[in-house]
Amino acid sequence: MNAPPTFECFLLFDGEKKITIEKDTKVPNASIFTINKEDHTLGNMIRAQLLKDPLVTFAGYKNPHPLEHKILLRVQTTPDSTPVEALKSAINDLMSELSLFEERFQEAYKEKCENMD
Amino acid sequence: MVKMEPREAEVTIGSHQQSNIRLSEAYGEGSQAYSLADFRRKLRMSVVKCTDEDLEFDIIGVDPAIANAIRRILIAEVPTMAADRITLINNTSFIHDKDLTNRIGLVPIRVDSRLFENRNPEQPASSQDTVVFELHIRCTKNLQAAQDSTLPKDIYSNSSVYSGHLTWVPLEGQEMLFAKNPPKPIHDDILIAKLRPGQEIDMKIEYLKGIGKTHAKFSPVATASYRLLPVIEILEDVCGEAARRLKNSFSKGVVEIEKRNGVDVAKIVNPRMDTCSRNVLMHDDLAEKVRLGRKLDHFIFSVESVGMLPSDILVKESIKVMLGKCKSFLDQIERVRGKRKNANGHH
Repeated sequence: MNAPPTFECFLLFDGEKKITIEKDTKVPNASIFTINKEDHTLGNMIRAQLLKDPLVTFAGYKNPHPLEHKILLRVQTTPDSTPVEALKSAINDLMSELSLFEERFQEAYKEKCENMD
Repeated sequence: MVKMEPREAEVTIGSHQQSNIRLSEAYGEGSQAYSLADFRRKLRMSVVKCTDEDLEFDIIGVDPAIANAIRRILIAEVPTMAADRITLINNTSFIHDKDLTNRIGLVPIRVDSRLFENRNPEQPASSQDTVVFELHIRCTKNLQAAQDSTLPKDIYSNSSVYSGHLTWVPLEGQEMLFAKNPPKPIHDDILIAKLRPGQEIDMKIEYLKGIGKTHAKFSPVATASYRLLPVIEILEDVCGEAARRLKNSFSKGVVEIEKRNGVDVAKIVNPRMDTCSRNVLMHDDLAEKVRLGRKLDHFIFSVESVGMLPSDILVKESIKVMLGKCKSFLDQIERVRGKRKNANGHH
């Protein structure tokens, strides 16, 4: 019985940080974000959103190992922005999108229910 | 030329390949500046089917990343209550303890997880984080059974243990909270074990809040999936015997045959029903006359709830979970940056 405890996939270990930001020194304006206890759900969504930003020249994520519950997100931007700024605006856009999504879903659901009555 | 425009957001399905995938264009990556107004204009939603358990809805104008995130969260991250800690007081049945407890774990109960909190494993059970059920059942000989009957269900009583035998034990204050809607198994007829006279099962079960990522028993959906809307276009009239062949190469309800000037002509009625089997491409003459594809930004989403929460609530909850993730992410970035700035200020 050497299975790791199931809560490891969402609970941070003692002293573990949710996010660490590391500057990529090989190229300008690039950072690698290590996000603990997240997976493809968030990684892919943020990556897709970052790619829509014309100031972002590169965005990619990976899950280094399926048993390690973390993702690495690499972002490179043009000199007009910084990776952190790009990421922040991407998440803000994403949140507005999701709120709108929820709103529209509720409307659609209500409409359907009314039609059924 | 009129037809050219929608094709840009479509993928063409061939017999051995998919072509014309211009994903970056379809999902607006790169070329043009992203704007929320654009998203607002493009996003459309409609609910196609909704019953107590099934929900089918269309999402038009979103990224696959968002559709996939919703699907993943529905399966693995919307919290529910499931049997987590079992105290076995007595089990003299044929079924082993470990199998019995596993079976109990997979019985879903109807209780709204939103009313509960996550339980700290070191703390004892409280009415805010635990629902307790009891299963105490003993099999006996049925003395009233007819002389000639041989069926176990007639000659014994309680020979089969069903999920309906689980009884709720309210903790302090829960009786009031759940007066209208007491927790109970969603299905009363799930067979848990079989007993013979003298055998007994006695256990106490604690239902805790959890997510599907840790164990499938917490998953609130039986299935949550999406597919892209099929596009089928007849480029040239297909008549007579060929029309019937065309009809038979698609799923039922996709193609119908109508009489036009006394001739049978195939007509696409409902491409939505198609499974995209591509059977039509086996007929060389028909293959040239149809164009198959899928719309890249039209997702047909289907959610089938296990029954703990209705499907529409599950979708709303999944969006909430996602928003929560984004929000905490943003907060964390601010915090990391704040620390950095402070550190720089000290230098």
